[in-house]
Amino acid sequence: MKSYQNTLSQPELCLIRQISALASAASSLDELLQAILDKVIVSVDANRGFVALVDFDRGELLIKCSAGEGWDAEKMHQRLQLHASEQKGITTFVAATGKPHCTGDVSKDPYYIKYFDDVASELAVPIVDAYGRTRGVINVESPKKNAFLEHHEALLLALANIASLGFSIDDHRSRERAFVEIGTELAASPDIPVLLSRVIRVAAEVLRFEDCSVFLLDKDRHTLVLEASSSPLKDEVGDASYRLGEGLTGWIAEHGQPIRTTDPRNDPRWRGLYREVPTDDMAAYLGVPIESRDGIIGVLRVLRRKTRFPWFQHSFTTEDESVLASIASQVGSMVQNLRLMDRVVGAERMAAWGEMSARSAHMMGNRIFAIKGDLNELDYQLLQPEDNREDYRGLVESVRGGVSRLEEMLQEFRDFVLATQLSLLEQDTNQMVKESVKEFFPKRSKVRLEAIYTTDLPKVQADSGKLKRCFAELIENAVSFQLDGGLLRVSTGLAAAKEAQELCGLSPKRKYIKIEFSDAGPGVPDDDKEKIFNPFFTSRAKGMGLGLSIVKGIIEAHRGRICEAGTLGMGARFIIFLPATGL
Amino acid sequence: MCRVLIVDDEESVRAAIERRLKRDGLNVHAAAGESDAIEKIMGAEKPYDVVMTDMVMENPDSGLNVLKAAMEADIFTEVIILTAYGNIANAVESMKRGAFDYVEKNIPGIDVYDLMSIKIAQAIERRQSSMITVRRIDQFARTHEEG
Repeated sequence: MKSYQNTLSQPELCLIRQISALASAASSLDELLQAILDKVIVSVDANRGFVALVDFDRGELLIKCSAGEGWDAEKMHQRLQLHASEQKGITTFVAATGKPHCTGDVSKDPYYIKYFDDVASELAVPIVDAYGRTRGVINVESPKKNAFLEHHEALLLALANIASLGFSIDDHRSRERAFVEIGTELAASPDIPVLLSRVIRVAAEVLRFEDCSVFLLDKDRHTLVLEASSSPLKDEVGDASYRLGEGLTGWIAEHGQPIRTTDPRNDPRWRGLYREVPTDDMAAYLGVPIESRDGIIGVLRVLRRKTRFPWFQHSFTTEDESVLASIASQVGSMVQNLRLMDRVVGAERMAAWGEMSARSAHMMGNRIFAIKGDLNELDYQLLQPEDNREDYRGLVESVRGGVSRLEEMLQEFRDFVLATQLSLLEQDTNQMVKESVKEFFPKRSKVRLEAIYTTDLPKVQADSGKLKRCFAELIENAVSFQLDGGLLRVSTGLAAAKEAQELCGLSPKRKYIKIEFSDAGPGVPDDDKEKIFNPFFTSRAKGMGLGLSIVKGIIEAHRGRICEAGTLGMGARFIIFLPATGL
Repeated sequence: MCRVLIVDDEESVRAAIERRLKRDGLNVHAAAGESDAIEKIMGAEKPYDVVMTDMVMENPDSGLNVLKAAMEADIFTEVIILTAYGNIANAVESMKRGAFDYVEKNIPGIDVYDLMSIKIAQAIERRQSSMITVRRIDQFARTHEEG
C-alpha cells in the first residue's frame, strides 16, 4: 500500500491519530467502524456513508454501519452479491478487486448501480487484512460532482488500515473466547464422545471451521477411526478409518506433523479416501496431530470448500494452524484424562467383582468344610458295631442340606456374573419403571401405590430386562415388608446438582436420572445400610428374588449407583442413579 | 482331660470340629470370634492346652491376635491356625510368632478332620513334654538352692 501521508492535512492527520487510539480502546469492532464512519463523513464533507462487511460463507456483503441521510430499514438490510463485473455496484467491485475506486460522476461510471437518488460522487476503499483478504468496504457519497479528491482517498485508506487492525484484534478476541469456551466445555465433558462433539461445535461456530473431523487411533494404534464430524462425513462415525500412514490424515498421525495445503489432490500423500467435500470443491486442507503424554492419539482436521469467486482467498493461515494445534493439544490432554478415569471406573468395577468372588469363595469353602465334617462322621458311624440308621440318615440329610446351600451360593455368583453382562440400548426410564410396576406390583394389595413420573427425562443407555428385574426386586421387597398394608412410592426425575455425589459418591460432572422406591415399612438400621447389598446377607430362601447384591451389581454395571437412605422405623428408601445420555 | 478351644465365626464349622474332637475324648469349648476367644482365654480358670483358631474373623489377622492372647495367658498353650485359603506368608508369620502349626480347611482330597485330630494330638504331646521339662528345671533349681 503506497503511503499517502504527505498529501494529508493537519486535521486529517489528527483524525487518523484519534482513530488509532480508538482502535485498541474500542470494546467492539462495530464501535470502531461506526466511529470511523461518523468522523470521516464530516471530514470529507460527504452526505452519506456506510461500511459493508464481507460474509465469507455466502459470498455477500452486508451493511454493518451507516451514517447520513436517507437510510431506511430496507436499505440497511440489503445484501450485495460480490461481483467484479460492470453494473453490479461500486462497493462490490471494490470488495472483489481489493482496490479503491473513486468517481466524480456516477452517471458516467460503468460499475455504478443506483441506490440512492441524490448521488453524484462516490468513493469506496477496501479494508484488507494481514492475509490480503478484503474484509469490508468503507463507502462515502456526495450529491456534488467531483467531491472527492486524492487526499480524501488517502484519508480513507489510512482509516481502512486502522479498521484492518480492528479486524485483527476482533479475530484474536474471538479466538480467545473460543479457547475459554473450549476449556470450560472440555473440563465438563463426562466422556469422550461428548467431548469431541463439543470441540467440533466450538470449532465450527466460533472459529468457523465448518467441515471439521476428529480421528482417534484405536487400541492397537494402527488404525485411525472417525470419532466425530460436523461435515457430511458424520454419518460414517465409527466406520470411516485410515491405516497409520495412509493418506494425508494417516501421514499426520504417523509423523506427528501438521499438513496445511491448498492443493490436496496433487500431494503425493493424498489418497482421497474419505472426503467431507468433493475433491474438486476442496480449496484447502488443514490437519494437526492430537497428542497426549502417551504419544500421538489422533488427528484433528478441517477442510474448506472453494468459493464461487476465483479472486477469493480462502485458504488456511498460519494463525488457523496454530489455533487448531492449540485445540488439538487441549483435546489430547482431556481424552487422556477421560481414558484414565475410565480405567479407574473399570478398576472399581473389577474391585466389586473381586469382592464378590472373595466372599463367594469364603462362604463356599466353609460350606464344603461342614459337608466334609458330616462325611467324616458318617465314615466313623459306619465303622461302629451298632446300627445307627437314624444317625446315618441325619448325616445324609445334613450333607444334602449343605450341598443345596452350596448350590444357592453358586447360583448367586452366577447371577452376579450374568447380571453384569449387559446388552445396552437407548431406553426411556419412565417406560421401564411403569412396566415394572404394572408387572410386579400385586393386583390386589393392602399396600397403596403412589407413582410420580417426571416427563421429558433424557434417555439412558440400559439393558431394559435387567433393570426391570432390579425394579421388581425393590417393589417385591417393599410389599413383603408391609404385609398388613402400607405405602410404596415410586418416582423418577433428574437428580439435583450434587445429589448423586453426596449420596453415592458419583462424579458431579455427569447428569443422572434418579429413581426412588420408598415405603412405610420397618426401614433399615444404620449399621446395615451398606451390608444389605452384600452377597449372602440374607438367605435367598424366597427363591424368586435376585437379592440386593445382584441389584447393586446390575446398577453398577450400568455405571450407576444404588443406596438406601431411609430412616429406621419410618420406612426404607432406595435411590437409584443412572447416567443420562446426551448431557 | 485335655482342654481345647475352637475359634471360628461360622457356626457350622464350630459344630463340625467340636463333634469330631469330642469323639477323641477332648474337653471342647468354642468361641465365635476374636473378642469372644480372648474373653474366654483371659477368663479361664485353667489355661487351655490347645487353641485352634480361624485366621480371618472380625479382622484379616484375628487369628494372630488370638495366638498372642493365648501365649500371654500361658506360654506353653499350643495354638493351631486354621484358614480357608493357604498363604505361605501368613503361615510363616504364624510360625514365627509361635504357633504350633497351620492347617488349611479346604485342601482337595484330604480329610482335614483326621488331619486336625492328629495335629491336636501332636500339640498335646509337645505341651506335656514342655511341662515335664519345666518341672525338671524347677526341681533342679530348688535342689541346688537348698544345697
